[in-house]
Amino acid sequence: MGLSVISLIFWLVAVPFCIGMIPANFIPPERRSPGFILLSGYFGMWALFELAAVPAVLWVEYHNFKIASAAFTVLSLLGAMTGVGLLYRNNKAGKPFFVRAKENGSMKNDNCVIKGRSLKTCALSCTGKLFTAVGIEWLLFFVLLGFQLYKAVAFSSFDGDDAYYVVESLIAQEADVMYRILPLKGGSTGLDVRHAMAVFPMWVAFVSVRARMHATIVSHVVMPLVLIPLTYLLYYEIGRRLFDRGGTAHPGKEALSESRLHREKLPVFMIIMAFFQIFGNVSIYTNETFFLTRTWQGKAVAGSLVIPAMIWTFLQIYDRSVENKQTDAGVWILLVCINMTAGVCSSIAVFLVCILAALTTFCLAVVSRDWKLLLKVGAACIPNVVYMAIYVFMAYSYLLQ
Amino acid sequence: MWGIFLESVVIFKNYMGYHENHFLVGIYLFALLYLWLVERDKRRRAVFVYAPTLILLVFFCPLFRKVFVRIMEDSETYYRLLWLLQMSIVSAYGLIKLMGRHMRIGLLAACLMVVACGDYVYDSEHISRAENAWHLPQEAVDIVDMIKPEEGRITVLVPADLIYYIRQYSTDIELPYGREMLVSRWDYYNAMYEAMEAAEVIDTPLFVELTREYPCAYVVLKEDRKIKEPLTDYGFSVYGQVGEFVIYKDMTL
Repeated sequence: MGLSVISLIFWLVAVPFCIGMIPANFIPPERRSPGFILLSGYFGMWALFELAAVPAVLWVEYHNFKIASAAFTVLSLLGAMTGVGLLYRNNKAGKPFFVRAKENGSMKNDNCVIKGRSLKTCALSCTGKLFTAVGIEWLLFFVLLGFQLYKAVAFSSFDGDDAYYVVESLIAQEADVMYRILPLKGGSTGLDVRHAMAVFPMWVAFVSVRARMHATIVSHVVMPLVLIPLTYLLYYEIGRRLFDRGGTAHPGKEALSESRLHREKLPVFMIIMAFFQIFGNVSIYTNETFFLTRTWQGKAVAGSLVIPAMIWTFLQIYDRSVENKQTDAGVWILLVCINMTAGVCSSIAVFLVCILAALTTFCLAVVSRDWKLLLKVGAACIPNVVYMAIYVFMAYSYLLQ
Repeated sequence: MWGIFLESVVIFKNYMGYHENHFLVGIYLFALLYLWLVERDKRRRAVFVYAPTLILLVFFCPLFRKVFVRIMEDSETYYRLLWLLQMSIVSAYGLIKLMGRHMRIGLLAACLMVVACGDYVYDSEHISRAENAWHLPQEAVDIVDMIKPEEGRITVLVPADLIYYIRQYSTDIELPYGREMLVSRWDYYNAMYEAMEAAEVIDTPLFVELTREYPCAYVVLKEDRKIKEPLTDYGFSVYGQVGEFVIYKDMTL
């Protein structure tokens, strides 16, 4: 059990965090945050998994899961080492990886400065702050988050699609085979391209094998414990883009009050988001319903994580362009990884993110009169075009024979 | 084209739970309209106002629906286009803008609105207290533990109640048919399924003949399942019982 937990922490926290340092290295230090790093690390990791798994699924018939796992292990560890290497290089060059953007008076007053204070004083101060104006809202949000995690672990949610997706993960774990055995009843089968290219269940299988845990337990228990907080982390980052304007350069009295108001909005945003998820079950089709009742399925990840991540990226693209019409390379790397993750989650998600990218970029290009944006976002969507080309080729190659 | 448009309207209404008196879409459309009126940052307008409006237009466009269904070869997943609206993010952003400086009362009002217009997800009939770490019915786990071979795979015939779960616990158990038979709109035919589930009373000779075609090493029946003649008269023996499920072993194999 202990080894399983260590392995889960390694593959679900340490590796993505280290990979996330690669895109983070290509954005300004003041815009880096642990949230950005972990999220971009996850998208980077899933993109690497796509590179390792899809060719193995399509072109290797026997023990293709073992080959994909080995390739992904190498790729992800190389990615993690590259991330750590970049961190080390920055530190050695005297450039800190993280820089506090908000060093004005307002933030100093509100943040717990540990240096020079005892841990006890700091803990008391933080506990006190939890019950002050902003703190109580954060506390309420964490209660809502904890409630969702408790429900995810203590309650089971029946979904018929598990007979396909969860069993695919278990087959990969038990038989070392990806998409070559019929999940619903057993027996060998040809490749079902539509499902086979969406390799999210294979990533679940990879985590299960590394953690030496049954794939069904990983799907139904471990995945919600990872993906629900990760999704809220994404909402937090979106909220930060929308409301956190605390870092004004010249904090006058009005600016400080404005800054405080903006920071108060962030927990309010998170609480409303949590309420929307918990009460979003207006039909079985909403992404909110998918998020909390079939969290472990690729399509739920597409609806609740990948599509909002596109919006997060668009907020970052234009944030930068406001200043100097330049978007950081790290954001483009992130966009490419998100596009690739869409393919990992579901074939339809690839089509959906393309539509979202096309429509949003068109609107952004019109309002900012920056037509080059269409080309840049189009270039970031090339992985989707490749994915769809392979899909079409594999689905209709029988016509060429 | 008009017919296709009306289909999209039905999909939209089903997605939003309109027929069950859920009106989260009302909050969303209100927030979207409010953002149309007050959002001054032109780039945020692009992301939170223009793009969602275009997505809605595209969703209702019959020509687009035709292209989508042709490319994806699937009309059942068209509703997923509505995921692009990201109702919760746009609504939360719009509502917070509307609150202005009245955050506390605004938050309370927003939460009450969401509760009133939405539907509590954990009320779903599909959510129940987990019986074990796998989140599978304990009976399915116990049955598989009882019959699982030490090596290799076996075929087992189980009632529809267990079909979804058996292979989520062990893929060493194969089934004569799977979930595909339980989804009526998929319209599959399987003689074994007809003999096992569709017949009011199991016709034992035909049933046994079919199980031996696979061959099924075990047959699991509910104890109250009506059967013409006992399976024990046809070379099966009672191997065990788990709850309401009786496990028969085919002794001829």
